[in-house]
Amino acid sequence: MASVTQGSPSPSPASGGGGLVSTDAKPSPARQVLERLVSLREGSIIVVAIVVAVYFAINTSSFLTGENFKTLLPYFAPLAILGAGEVFVMILGEIDLSIAAMYLFAPIVFFKLDSAGLGLVPSVLLALIACMAVGVVNGAFVSIVGVSSFVTTLGMLFTFEGLSLIIAKGQPNPTPGAQVHQTTVQVHHIVNGHNIVLPEKVNHIGTFAKIFGGGVYSELIWAIVIVLALQVVLTFTRWGLYTVAIGSNKIGAAEAGVKVKLVTIRNFVLCALTAGLVGIFEAVRSQTIQPDPSGPNEILLLAIAGAVIGGTLLSGGSGTVVGALIGALFLGILKDGLILQGVQANYLLFYTGLAIVVAMTANVYVGRARRGSGSG
Amino acid sequence: MAEPGTPLQGAPTPSAASEDVLRVEHIGKRFGPVTALKDVNLHLKKGEVLGLLGDNGAGKSTLIKILCGFQKPDTGRMFLRGEPYEPKSVDDARAKGIETVYQDLALIDELSVFHNLFLRKERVHKPLPLLANRQMKREARTALDEIGINIPRIDVAVARLSGGQRQAIAVARTVNSDADIILLDEPLAAMGAKEGAMILDLVARLKEEGRVSIIMILHNYVHVLEACDRVSMIQDGAIALDKPTAETSVEELTDIVVNEYKRARMANHEDTAPAT
Ligand SMILES: Nc1ncnc2c1ncn2[C@@H]1O[C@H](COP(=O)(O)OP(=O)(O)O)[C@@H](O)[C@H]1O
Ligand SMILES: [Mg+2]
Repeated sequence: MASVTQGSPSPSPASGGGGLVSTDAKPSPARQVLERLVSLREGSIIVVAIVVAVYFAINTSSFLTGENFKTLLPYFAPLAILGAGEVFVMILGEIDLSIAAMYLFAPIVFFKLDSAGLGLVPSVLLALIACMAVGVVNGAFVSIVGVSSFVTTLGMLFTFEGLSLIIAKGQPNPTPGAQVHQTTVQVHHIVNGHNIVLPEKVNHIGTFAKIFGGGVYSELIWAIVIVLALQVVLTFTRWGLYTVAIGSNKIGAAEAGVKVKLVTIRNFVLCALTAGLVGIFEAVRSQTIQPDPSGPNEILLLAIAGAVIGGTLLSGGSGTVVGALIGALFLGILKDGLILQGVQANYLLFYTGLAIVVAMTANVYVGRARRGSGSG
Repeated sequence: MAEPGTPLQGAPTPSAASEDVLRVEHIGKRFGPVTALKDVNLHLKKGEVLGLLGDNGAGKSTLIKILCGFQKPDTGRMFLRGEPYEPKSVDDARAKGIETVYQDLALIDELSVFHNLFLRKERVHKPLPLLANRQMKREARTALDEIGINIPRIDVAVARLSGGQRQAIAVARTVNSDADIILLDEPLAAMGAKEGAMILDLVARLKEEGRVSIIMILHNYVHVLEACDRVSMIQDGAIALDKPTAETSVEELTDIVVNEYKRARMANHEDTAPAT
């Protein structure tokens, strides 16, 4: 297992990260791969994520297991989806803090509408449309009224988290369509030639729940599909081109005829939509709708951290959706790995914070190397 | 793909320019307390190159931005080929055949040369909304070669280019279109002598073809007399001079500006620092 680091005395425990990259002796293939990676916008975080993953793989036996991957999933898949939407806003040079409120708001609206008898899917759709309407308001305030996005979405964050609490009356509710049904089936066994029938309990989750976050891989599949689709939009469509254009030179883009207000509103709508969707997924997965803003607020910050770590600039004009996914994966690996290593819960946040700073610093240097390298 | 820059192809005769392609009357524009334009009357004949002059802050760029639909005038009327002209947006003006090189160039640093060249005119794989990057690269290369602009690589971000190259790309973007009215706001500002000469050659070539009419803001009077058919000078928010270049000279144009400068000096005795 430790054969990854050829030559070095032992998989250096403490400062393990540095030792792995020191393949200076053989410059050719590894170097080339590294240089190719570095020339990518997501390059630095890919390198950092791999280094961290390898470190944990070497140091904890249970890291590289399917079971562990399953525990990693619910942590990083929601962040990846949230990050995908947020990247579209961040490339504009704006920020959307209200995603935490949408995350909370969507499942509560979903519950209310379903309770009113609208049915599962229509209720989900209407809840998402409600989130998109909030996105329109965000975008309009930012691009038409001219309030800064930080202030606008901070206001919307509190407003809609508050509204969610009001609507839910502070009470948790069971997520519609997500309840596990237990049935008892009679299973025939043949023991010593005798046919005996024993009752066994089987858990069922409905198709709705399986699709909307309840299935083990459902959120992962959503995350991959959404991230890839939005990366294609960003790189290969006019919408993406205009998003970069506005973030890079808003006045110039407007002078060239880009509809700055329209694109800005559209991106805020997209961001609110992804946040609402993740809120629904998580409610279905956890089977309850908790009217508690503290979880969403933490996820909001992690999603932004993931996007930034993944190579999206807060100042706008540059960013990648895939990078945000890898950034989210990095945060997931880090948390998961630290837990497996037996790091005390109290230290978790502390290490995460340090790791974010280190990863960001690596980003800055790699970014400089990329621009200086002339390969672009 | 309407071939944009098709040169030397049955250009309509540069007729006696009896008709104005563009005419504006009593245009006024204020920005809060600042009156940028008071009462501008201006016309542009078909196939003509009009030089627009004026001090810094005279309102030249404001006038250009009104003509190209980026800003709306507070007062006045505009006519395009005899029809009332009220552009709703830059796209609207563009659809009516007006293209602009802005003073700030309106280039997107983060985007490649060819994406900048095709901004708002992107080619896509038809039924799909996906960008046809290869086609745009090819067409961009052709267009730049045709114009004679030397940009070694068109897939690099324009942030990497020199001031003159950036300006050349902004000009190329405008020329590489179906426009029949081209507005150039200080197209030579960041250019060296050689690049500047190239742009002036390009303007001369367009003039020969006779397809487009041009309004161009310049500061160098030698350039003005060389490249333009007529000059209009904005002073105090209105056109103070409007003459064919054949009837004016560097001396006359300089005199007007010197006089304006003297008046400004007298107007504020104490404050001797001249405006930049
Ligand atoms: N968007 C704007 N907001 C406020 N003032 C402006 C704006 N655009 C131009 N101005 C003012 O209008 C005047 C004319 O500006 P401009 O048209 O750029 O002059 P020029 O191009 O002739 O140098 C200046 O005083 C300038 O400060
Ligand atoms: Mg100007």
